[in-house]
Amino acid sequence: MDKKPVLEMKNISKRFDMTQALDNVSLTLYPGEIHALVGENGAGKSTLIKTMTGIYRPDTGNILLDGQPVHIHNSQQAQSHGVAAIYQEPLVFPDLNVAENIFISHRDRGAVVSWKKMYKDAESILEKLDVKLDVKMPARGLTLAAQQAVEIAKAISLDVRVLIMDEPTASLSAHEVAQLFKVANTLREQGVAVLFISHRLEEVFKISDRISVFRDGRHISTNITGDVTHDSLIRDMVGREVGDYFAKSQAEKGEVLVSARGLGKEGVFSDINFDVRRGEVLGFAGLVGSRRTDVGLALFGIEPADAGEIIFEGEPLTMKSPEQALKCGISYLTEDRRQFGLTMPMSITSNISLPTLKRYLSGLGLVKHSREKATAEDYRKRLTIRTPSVNHEVGKLSGGNQQKVMLGKWLNAEPKLFIFDEPTRGIDVGAKAEVHHIINELAEQGLAIILISSDLPEALAMSDRILVMREGKQMGIFNREEATQEIVMTAAMGQSHLTEEISQ
Amino acid sequence: MSHDKNFLSVVWDKLKSWEGFLLLVLILIIIGNTSLAPNYLSIGNQMNLFILSIEKIIVALIMAFIIINAEIDLSVSSMMGLSACTLAWLYSQGAPIPVALLAGLLIGVLGGAFNAFWIAKVGLPSLVVTLAMLIGFRGFARVLLEDKSIGDFPVWFDTLGQQPLVGPFPLALLLFFLFVIAAILLLEYSGFGRYVYVIGNSREVAEYSGVKVNRVKTILFIASGTVAALAGLLFAARLGAVRGDLALGFELDIITMVLLGGVSIFGGSGSIYGVLLSIMIVLNLRNGMSLANITGHVQTGVIGMLLILSVLVPNMTQTVRAYLDRRRLAEASSKNNEQLSVNN
Repeated sequence: MDKKPVLEMKNISKRFDMTQALDNVSLTLYPGEIHALVGENGAGKSTLIKTMTGIYRPDTGNILLDGQPVHIHNSQQAQSHGVAAIYQEPLVFPDLNVAENIFISHRDRGAVVSWKKMYKDAESILEKLDVKLDVKMPARGLTLAAQQAVEIAKAISLDVRVLIMDEPTASLSAHEVAQLFKVANTLREQGVAVLFISHRLEEVFKISDRISVFRDGRHISTNITGDVTHDSLIRDMVGREVGDYFAKSQAEKGEVLVSARGLGKEGVFSDINFDVRRGEVLGFAGLVGSRRTDVGLALFGIEPADAGEIIFEGEPLTMKSPEQALKCGISYLTEDRRQFGLTMPMSITSNISLPTLKRYLSGLGLVKHSREKATAEDYRKRLTIRTPSVNHEVGKLSGGNQQKVMLGKWLNAEPKLFIFDEPTRGIDVGAKAEVHHIINELAEQGLAIILISSDLPEALAMSDRILVMREGKQMGIFNREEATQEIVMTAAMGQSHLTEEISQ
Repeated sequence: MSHDKNFLSVVWDKLKSWEGFLLLVLILIIIGNTSLAPNYLSIGNQMNLFILSIEKIIVALIMAFIIINAEIDLSVSSMMGLSACTLAWLYSQGAPIPVALLAGLLIGVLGGAFNAFWIAKVGLPSLVVTLAMLIGFRGFARVLLEDKSIGDFPVWFDTLGQQPLVGPFPLALLLFFLFVIAAILLLEYSGFGRYVYVIGNSREVAEYSGVKVNRVKTILFIASGTVAALAGLLFAARLGAVRGDLALGFELDIITMVLLGGVSIFGGSGSIYGVLLSIMIVLNLRNGMSLANITGHVQTGVIGMLLILSVLVPNMTQTVRAYLDRRRLAEASSKNNEQLSVNN
């Protein structure tokens, strides 16, 4: 490229507690290019965008605009530098009309709005984008694609030079995607740099000029799209060493404990089929938005399924509530400790005994504190929870120790089926290994285990079989022997021809 | 680390808590009042304090449960009015007092169940539902009695509550002890109380842990309606006459007692001990101001200031604490970074 870059991210690093979200990452955007950014969950794409738009500030590194270093502290500043972003869910005001939405960020229009001028300007912007929309129509009635067009028009009204599109196609129909691509191409012709983020590789190949791959917060490669093949791209995305992971012990498999037959929930997921045996670990893999967690929530009765059936110990049943699931012997370890997992201001003891509190009540309904405490002490030793005392507030423990408290809470329910949802997210390497060890131990004790994990090497190392989902659909179940990172990632990305070959 | 602290530091920790602060305030008020009236601390006067406010006190105790559960019941004083008016109306229609009393209590159960239905089953915010019923129950009460005042109850009913019942203790005081013990056992020691705290802290965590959230809320609102109805009947007995505006505006004093007691308006924290202390503070403060010839309106103003302080002070200490924590973290991380760069 002989043009001068419009935006350069140089040696950007950003750390959150335990995770290095960005590690010395550089990315350069040129005017008039569509630059695709791909990577697995947690590769650092979102963090990079948030750094560009001023939501995060990098720990180290520089952002250069036209070769000049700039500091971006918030999204208004980003906008004034000509950097804007649109997301999967457009942020339009439903009760304002198209023109009002386009000019919502303009504060320099004086006290009186000149409606005529505003409508005319809005029309001319939409015309530039080659989009036909009635500017007086309220945004409420617009399709998602049209709402995105309004957002793009809003960015253009602010003289955008770098437009970030974060998974803009995730909830669009094929026709709408084509429309969006037309707009993106128009922007490219007008010299805007477009950063396009998508999990759909076919789209990336179709629209982009260059492709950059991130992995684990690092920049892996940037190539001209013509030089990249599907295989080389997927290799770049997943090429991680599996060395740190626990060797899986082979637990003896018993009879089938739980099965799903055509399980579905309207608008969320559909036609999910699997069996889990006692002593078996079934992994659930997939990208963000693949709806793995929703299947877990359906099994645990929090968001009950509305189609198909769950067969538990040979009995078909509809799982309506967590109480029912608990009674059946299902534990569900949530991915969101803070919101759904633990009552942070309360003690370790009260958190561990919560699902099973009835066991600790006297005839009068009073809590037997000594027995409750004994149980908590038991788990403190078994799971090596590092705390001065079991009366300690859970909120004051480290992430890894909180995770262990949550594990103790659900182990104490003595489940037959244990659903783990991202059991090692946001905890350090040591605690991670301990959690893996516990999962292995539980399988050996004959528990059936469902392991939902975005950490692909983890899912591969821990599971006997892996169920891969993509946008609410089951893409296939792979045996341990045949599942490689490439195969699973290909299925998760929706390259279904390959999937079918393998599952046959 | 808490187990190797010595006795003094434990006492000091307790005093630093909100309850400790309340205790200090209470002692100051009592000292002030005693200097105004030397026989202030006499048993007779202290007993009177409780007897004259028993209605508010028992409702405040159940209100503590509801606010800890991250809900609110604004309809309690209207329910007090409604149950008393039901009693008076039935009595004026010729029903015997025991029947009328039972009917009054039943109204409380039904009214509470009505609130519970909209809040727990339908999922409407309790602030809105009980605000509507603050108006609704009061409306029914006024419909029943119009602008009449009904009295002439039998003598035994009029003296209920004030005459010594067991030894020197009148019913009001016995009820006070009964309710306090029940409230402490239920909230601080029972499984039900544990659920109340957990739900108040995070409804989601409770649901994800298999707690029957809606059942707990239903029980609480029915209990609140019933206790309020009982309080209304006691109030009717003490006044000896009932009008449609009985207990009008009491919910403010009641909620003040609970919040001043350290119960968070956002739910999840607070204790019956704190609420007890704040009840004592409000009662003694009002009594002392009366002794000092301060008029009722000024008294209400002072109570209002107290309410603002009760919300402001814990918030301010939290803000200060959070600020200090942040600074400490920032310092620690900058030290870390220095070390990292040294290592590199």
